[in-house]
Amino acid sequence: MTLQECYAAMEADYDDVLGRLRSERLIQKFVLKFLDDPSYELLCTSMDGGDLDTAFRASHTIKGVCQNLGFTKLGHSSHELTEALRGRDAGAAAGLLDQVKADYAQTADAVRAFKQSQGL
Amino acid sequence: MDKGKILIVDDSEMNRSILADMLEDEYEILEAEDGVDGLAMLRSHGSAISLVLLDIVMPRLDGFGVLAAMNQSGLIAEVPVIMISAESGSAQVAKAYDLGVSDFIARPFDALIVRRRVVNTLLLYAKQKRLTAMVEEQIRETERQSSLMIEILSHIVEFRNGESGQHILHVRTLTDFLLRALMRKTDRYGLTSQEISCISVGSALHDIGKIVIDEHILNKPGRLTVDECTVMKTHSIKGAMMLDALEGHKDDPLIRTAYEICRWHHERYDGQGYPDGLVGDDIPISAQVVALADVYDALTSPRVYKPPFSHEKAVEMITGGQCGVFNPLLLECLTENAESIRALLAESGEQSAARESRNIVQESVRPANSSVSDRTLRLLDYERMKYSFFAAMTREIQFEYTISPSVISMTPWGAQTLGLDEIIMDPGRDPKLQAVLGDDGWAEMLEKLRQTTAEAPNISYDCQLTYDGQSRWYQIILRSIWSTDMPPRFEGALGKAIDIHDTHEKMTYLEKKAARDAMTGLYNRAAAKERIETRMADRPQSNYAMAIFDLDFFKSANDQYGHQFGDQVLKVVADRLHRSVRGSDIACRAGGDEFLLFLEYNTDIERTVDRIFHSLCGPYENYDISVTMGVALAQLTGKSYEALFQAADAALYAAKRAGRAQYRFYDESLKDTLSAISDIDDEQGGTDQ
Repeated sequence: MTLQECYAAMEADYDDVLGRLRSERLIQKFVLKFLDDPSYELLCTSMDGGDLDTAFRASHTIKGVCQNLGFTKLGHSSHELTEALRGRDAGAAAGLLDQVKADYAQTADAVRAFKQSQGL
Repeated sequence: MDKGKILIVDDSEMNRSILADMLEDEYEILEAEDGVDGLAMLRSHGSAISLVLLDIVMPRLDGFGVLAAMNQSGLIAEVPVIMISAESGSAQVAKAYDLGVSDFIARPFDALIVRRRVVNTLLLYAKQKRLTAMVEEQIRETERQSSLMIEILSHIVEFRNGESGQHILHVRTLTDFLLRALMRKTDRYGLTSQEISCISVGSALHDIGKIVIDEHILNKPGRLTVDECTVMKTHSIKGAMMLDALEGHKDDPLIRTAYEICRWHHERYDGQGYPDGLVGDDIPISAQVVALADVYDALTSPRVYKPPFSHEKAVEMITGGQCGVFNPLLLECLTENAESIRALLAESGEQSAARESRNIVQESVRPANSSVSDRTLRLLDYERMKYSFFAAMTREIQFEYTISPSVISMTPWGAQTLGLDEIIMDPGRDPKLQAVLGDDGWAEMLEKLRQTTAEAPNISYDCQLTYDGQSRWYQIILRSIWSTDMPPRFEGALGKAIDIHDTHEKMTYLEKKAARDAMTGLYNRAAAKERIETRMADRPQSNYAMAIFDLDFFKSANDQYGHQFGDQVLKVVADRLHRSVRGSDIACRAGGDEFLLFLEYNTDIERTVDRIFHSLCGPYENYDISVTMGVALAQLTGKSYEALFQAADAALYAAKRAGRAQYRFYDESLKDTLSAISDIDDEQGGTDQ
């Protein structure tokens, strides 16, 4: 699996990120780091616990990371969730969380597949 | 040049590392994972940080919190901040700009844009600093020029007056001093530094009205008639009118102040002055102060009609009311600061003028609260306060030394402990310090300091300090201070003295113990060898002899009287040996009943050996102690411990073979003789059987 194929699998924009970061090495480094970012974990537990402040920050961080990495799909759903959480709208957030979970799973799967194909 | 430091404050590790990757080639990157961490970094690195990249949404303390703190400390004026965020709400952006943010970087990051924004912001800040410096320089120059004009003008007046050229400068210096003293005393007049500067400058114009007074009256050598006096007194109001007539400048603060001074510097606090007979604080404080300064300088300076009076005499005349009544608070400022005033007036007037213009520049260029110099001064004051507090509390001997002026300052406790002054001027010639450090102590310390460099400034060594009638061992730890010039110049040092006396005593005791044979107190063989070798190396010109001896049939003494008696015999021999040699000789129990003696001699070694040999022999209780001894001279063997030892050993062997109870010197004939030491066991073994 190439990096482009990985981006395609998560419905993300490889050309965009290459245009900004300008180095395949850097992109690969950060894509692999994505799995280590604790924000998703934090988002899920704080949503479960009803801690909307922390959930907002976690969601906000995920959104920022996705923007930087050009993870368009997860970036989009986490953006919507962030906005709902900014208004501390628990109802809307619960609904949007499912989409984020699905997109995160798709994104993380793609990254894992890429990682495996690189023998890492 | 050093790489600039960029601080990245962002709670997402990934965002930080993306930014770090983009910038780390050209900058040193510091990272903080939230606002609190970021502030801690800013506090420890201060303006050494060239730029901050700051996220908004973070746990604990968000980006706005960091900005607020940077505003409070004034750091925002020195360290530019670029906000990084996906936040695009315009209210947020406006708030960030209000808090002093220079620019924004929006996510997603684009490497080119991030780099370019960082460079632009850094350049902009550098340019701004340069421009500020240029403006300051310009204002200072303008200030200097107008100050010069005022001086020329007032000197013209003085010249016509026939007064000394120093009067204007003295009045000005004194006015400034009295005003500052007054401000410390009371807040009744509430003057700013800028107003004080203005009054001091304006004071130079106090007598400009005299320019219109007839020269014959002005310079009349004798007493003025009543009419002449009336004319003379008009100079105050004439001067004021000249200033009032300056179209377009009447409202200038300097002109207003100068007007007050000209018009009212002959008013007196009780209303008995002229021209308006104002009373008390109806007289502007500017005029009150200049009036006092004017009178004081007139009294203390020589005039054609009088010699200069001393400070005391002048103060006595002023407070006695001989020159009219003055504001009592001002009189206090004068009487309480006799020393400072004397010193001040002795100083060159030029300096004070330069100081004046600097004051005005600082006041006018920098906004009162956020100015860089204010903040630096505050920090400096804070550090100074902190240092003096801890220095006063500490029970440590700490000191600071500067070369120019050559002064040591010590912590109060340190000075008290050592019986020294807290401030020691010219330490090389201070008898008290010399008594504590010893004759060469100070020179030694300077020598140690000179061995350091700006790169490796620390050094420590042990020495004895003498005080309270005792000498104690101290460890001296020094750090030399260097200038920032290239190459760096040695400027002084920081230091600390730690009492290590007890540890040192213990070490010396242990060292001694390790070097001594436990039973006899003589050196053991290893210690003796070391000392012998050192001695011969240190003084290669001397003559040396080594003697080795053992007790004849010692084994039988042990067998016959028991081991305790045998030990007693060894102690007696050691004691006899100890008593018959000099302190500089090295006496050693080499093992068992075998002893070694090392001597430095000048004349008759044979007689010395003979004397020692006989002093060792002789009865102890019922036992007759006798020894056999071999002696070697370094003259024959060369100055080597081994050679001496082998030769003495061979001589001992020969003496034993010749029947014991005698000594023998080594000579060439014994060259191939066997060793006696290796035979000792045989002898003992033989007796056992």
